[in-house]
Amino acid sequence: MTRTFLAKGMEIIQQDKQQILLRGKGDGIFADIINKEVSLLPPTDNLRMINNDEFLFAKQSFDQWALIFLKPKPEKEIFRLLSAFNSNEEILASNYSNTTYFEISGENKNHFLSKLTHFDLRSKKFPVSTMAQTLIARIDCCLYNFGDRYLLSCHSSFEDYFKDRLQDAIDL
Amino acid sequence: MLLINCPYCGERDQSEFTNGGEAHVARPKDPSQVSDREWSEYVFIRANPKGIYYERWVHTHGCRKWFNAVRNTSTDEILKVYKIGDPPPPIKEFKNTLKSPSGEPDVGSGNFTVKKI
Amino acid sequence: MIENKIYFKFDGKTFEGNEGDTIAAALLRNNVKLVGRSFKYHRPRGIYTCGIEEPNALVQIINEHNEPNVRATVKKIYEGMVVKSQNRWPSLKRDLGSINNLLSPIFSAGFYYKTFMGPKSFWKNVYEPLIRRTAGLGKPPKEFKSKSIHLQHNVDIVIVGGGLTGLLAAKKLAGTKYDVLLIERENSFGGILKSSKKIKLINDQDPNDWIEKTERLIHNSSNIKVLRNTLVNTYNFKDHLIALEDKSVGKPQDNKKPELVLHKIRTKQTILANGHIERFISFRNNDLPGVMLAASFEKYIYRYGVVPDESPVIFTNNSSTFSLIKSLIDLGHKPKAYVDIRDPKKIEKEVVELLAKNNIPFYAKSEIEGCDGKNEIKSVTIRFKKNETAKIKTSMLCVSGGFNPDIHLFTQSKGLLKWDENLITFKPDKIFQNTITLGSVSGNFSYQNIMKEINEKLSFLEGINDLDIKLDIEGPVNFHIKELWETKNAKKSLWSKSFIDLQNDVTTKDLKQAVTEGFNRIEHLKRFTTNSMGTDQGKISSINALGIVSKILKKNISDVGTTTYRPPYAPLNFSAIAGRSTYEFYDPVRKTPIHPWHIKHNAVFEDVGQWKRPWYYKKYTNETMHEAVQRESKQVREAAGILDGSTLGKIEIKGKDALAFINLIYTNSFTKMKPMTARYALMLGEDGMVKDDGIVCKINDQHFITTTTTGGAANVLAHMEEYAQTEWPDMNVYVNSITEQFATFNISGPKAKTIMERVFSNIDFNNKKFPFMTFNNFDYLNSKVRILRASFTGEQGYEIYISPKNALTLWERIFYYSRGINLVPYGTETMHLLRAEKGYIIVGQETDGTVTPIDLNLDWMIGKNKKDFIGKRSLIRSDIISSERKQLVGLIPLDKSYGIEEGQHIIEEKNLDTPIKKPIKMLGHVTSSYFSPTLNHCVAMALIKGGNRKIGSQLYVSTSDLNVIPVEVVKPNFIDPKNERLVS
Repeated sequence: MTRTFLAKGMEIIQQDKQQILLRGKGDGIFADIINKEVSLLPPTDNLRMINNDEFLFAKQSFDQWALIFLKPKPEKEIFRLLSAFNSNEEILASNYSNTTYFEISGENKNHFLSKLTHFDLRSKKFPVSTMAQTLIARIDCCLYNFGDRYLLSCHSSFEDYFKDRLQDAIDL
Repeated sequence: MLLINCPYCGERDQSEFTNGGEAHVARPKDPSQVSDREWSEYVFIRANPKGIYYERWVHTHGCRKWFNAVRNTSTDEILKVYKIGDPPPPIKEFKNTLKSPSGEPDVGSGNFTVKKI
Repeated sequence: MIENKIYFKFDGKTFEGNEGDTIAAALLRNNVKLVGRSFKYHRPRGIYTCGIEEPNALVQIINEHNEPNVRATVKKIYEGMVVKSQNRWPSLKRDLGSINNLLSPIFSAGFYYKTFMGPKSFWKNVYEPLIRRTAGLGKPPKEFKSKSIHLQHNVDIVIVGGGLTGLLAAKKLAGTKYDVLLIERENSFGGILKSSKKIKLINDQDPNDWIEKTERLIHNSSNIKVLRNTLVNTYNFKDHLIALEDKSVGKPQDNKKPELVLHKIRTKQTILANGHIERFISFRNNDLPGVMLAASFEKYIYRYGVVPDESPVIFTNNSSTFSLIKSLIDLGHKPKAYVDIRDPKKIEKEVVELLAKNNIPFYAKSEIEGCDGKNEIKSVTIRFKKNETAKIKTSMLCVSGGFNPDIHLFTQSKGLLKWDENLITFKPDKIFQNTITLGSVSGNFSYQNIMKEINEKLSFLEGINDLDIKLDIEGPVNFHIKELWETKNAKKSLWSKSFIDLQNDVTTKDLKQAVTEGFNRIEHLKRFTTNSMGTDQGKISSINALGIVSKILKKNISDVGTTTYRPPYAPLNFSAIAGRSTYEFYDPVRKTPIHPWHIKHNAVFEDVGQWKRPWYYKKYTNETMHEAVQRESKQVREAAGILDGSTLGKIEIKGKDALAFINLIYTNSFTKMKPMTARYALMLGEDGMVKDDGIVCKINDQHFITTTTTGGAANVLAHMEEYAQTEWPDMNVYVNSITEQFATFNISGPKAKTIMERVFSNIDFNNKKFPFMTFNNFDYLNSKVRILRASFTGEQGYEIYISPKNALTLWERIFYYSRGINLVPYGTETMHLLRAEKGYIIVGQETDGTVTPIDLNLDWMIGKNKKDFIGKRSLIRSDIISSERKQLVGLIPLDKSYGIEEGQHIIEEKNLDTPIKKPIKMLGHVTSSYFSPTLNHCVAMALIKGGNRKIGSQLYVSTSDLNVIPVEVVKPNFIDPKNERLVS
């Protein structure tokens, strides 16, 4: 269920997206295989993200990348990509489509999130076009910084709990 | 609440990390060749000193990466973080934080409030 | 200035106060001096201070959930507030507990330890009820639902305190690159500027104008955030501060908004500008209502416009009371007398001249011996020569015993203190964290030096300029003090006491007695006497206690040392600590994609880790859990059942070395296993104990999918990651949790295959094509499903894995296609029952971290030919191979009508004595027990010493009502031991 959360100077819109989580060395072979399919080179710096209209590609960790499809794709296409990536034995590609996304915008977004996380959101510590994995409302979340807005993602099993926490943080 | 400098993600709150006990305790290459005593020392025995301790941490709620840290157990100061596989930094690097024979530092242990002259 | 009038109730009587008044200020305005009874002796107590340090004036706020121990000197009144005094019965003025005061010889130091020794039954029936009724403070609050929230901050600099020093520091930092958080515990800035007339002019302006201008500057600078009504309570390592903001100052609590906000602040630098606290002096009856600290008296005048008394006696050992005398005179009042312990030559000429000019009786080199009165002061006795005293009638005595820098936060940060011989107090010396102390907290009691100190100590910061300021000071410029902790008192009666801790009713005599009894270490002495252990933590008196003890011990104060200052600085509500982590948010909640269906079908949920899992489904309203579980179990064995297993942990393992890795992680051997087959697998710790179990599916030698227990999923993944990263970093292997990415259904029962054939009509489920423990992937619903032939019930069974988006559709289709088959949805309790009938273990129920695979008779799962796997070496340690270890067996009661309780002991004794007189040998315990509807009797599993040898013998199981049940020990496999149903 898609919902919008509104507070003074802050808006949260729930969104549907798909995601493939990639594990691998991040070497030339890794880059080639991915580039062949989505015409994007995986970022090499830790916590760096790149994006265009269709994809968000982020290096989440030493051996882990998230490829998020900003525009919905037919599920068949996801499975095709998964099997293309997995054809190499040194890449593990997993379907991570059961993820819930929230787009958070507005000038008060940092103040609002500081009710839910200890994470340092100041731009000098969390620059634009970087991402972070951290605890928000006591659950593991990914936060992508687009400058004017954040994209926040968490496992869908937490969706109801997380939305209740968002509403609660707005109310109090 | 410590602030821990993950070598991959930078400074983060302690709540994102899990402590993994003493570092540089290598698993025997061939466990079948070690005695009961050697094996039990690997499994159960850890140094637990007061003072400089080489220990492992993992950034559980972040990048999942394991790394090593040098911590002064009597003050909780993390003196250095380094990657798994790197050699342990020599203890003399941190000498100035070790004072009395028991490892009690001048300041930071919380065991007294007035400066001993 | 027109003040708004506010009406509130104190002990049933309505009083009028001004807006902005604290309860104490409003009571003083109404000339109420008696506000409470003391902790132990029930002595009358009044208002001693004008702030957070208050030891006496604690009250209960009836209309705020009965909130107890509220400081009347901090809490602001509002219309309709209902306040009650504490620890008195039947009324404040006539308190029956005050008999304790006359019994005081038996209430001396260590009283609790010495008195209530026996007999044993007395403790419960006599002592405890008695102590609970007479000792203690307020009554516990009534239950209420907190709305307190937490707010986190990440900043560069925190300034604690918005007094003169804090404002100057903030002014310097305004407009710089630093993110600054300025925290003030009062409603308004200014500190001493608003509480006294000590500073007449700042830069030739009225201090109030200067404060207003500075506030505006701070407000307009985007780099400074401000918190008011916020008290910094805790200074943790590493530069982590916790502060409590009161959101309902001077107004009733809002039903919709948080009453308290707990700020968690991470900073790079902490500037402590939190000032000082005035201390008292011990003399005879120094607790009587009417005794008040001098600076607090002055604060009532300037903060609240209340003059607590028009002609008080002033008693001091230092130069600070000049401004109080001046203030009273300026208001047209006059102190009754001025008593100064100092030598006349040392007393400042400004003071002497002011006293002389106004004809105020002046006693130099004199002290207050004591004071007298019943419910409040009537007179004080001044000792002006060694043996000469004079009695003066008065209703108020203002005391100043010197000042302590408010070092609580500094010592919490583990900074070290040193004794200052001139100021007669401890002050900060060596920092441990990134702490800067400024102003009086650093021991700088001279206003003239304040700007110099700030400029110097902040000079290391980048891009800030030196400031200049001109202060016009009233009275003596330099602080001067003479050491005095207690005056010599002439004992008059049992009623006469000289207190060192007002809140805990500790007298100076108690300190002496404790030292005599051998408690000469300050930490021991504190616990023995309970000195400074009240909610005020001895803020006005703890240093005095050190002074007195150092004199008794003939030591320097710095050798006596202080006790350890621990957080919090002042009491804070549990609701603030809990924040939103209560009730529905106590722990994060995870739900499976089928959750809405479960709710619609009256599932009762069980918490498994963070997951909500159906425990059982109520078929009709009055169905009990037992009835539901029996019904579900029977139906699974007779027809078929379906379980939502989406919570099971799922881990994907891939890489060139995946096979080698998984061979090391699990006990089983996977080398010869064919692709697209599955195997039940065990995972051990290095100690050889069972850690987890699951099913390993092999796609090929480079790619595996494993399942874990629901609760163990995160730990198992972490365990794999740890070994992959730290022990075998050269292995090419990746592990990833895919728990969330698949919904999982377990269908089992004799009709399972029929259902599968109907739902997936294009798949051949023939046993030859799709045998037990194999799996395959299929296209379904524009998506993919993976089907695994496996079972946890002992029946024919299938596990279906499907993407969560399509899961509910499939689940409903399964029911649609099961028309006429009597498919039952079942929950975790039925799952437990069915697997127990088969003797399948549950990790965490049959195991507890001390159980090996050998103990469980699962040796067949150990890949004996494997060179190594985690825990292998431990399995040949001498105590692990002993046949005397506890082993898993089954139990059946001889009398089939009996039920066995989980957790009960297995014993050899036929009868038990009541009460039990001798130790009974315990052979083991019952790990699982259920009533089997299929067998129509109870089946249980147990871990028993040497259990394998005891198969076929008779033992006894204890019961909670101290009976025993005779049982037969059997192999733990109660249904279909040959597994014919399983592979049918």
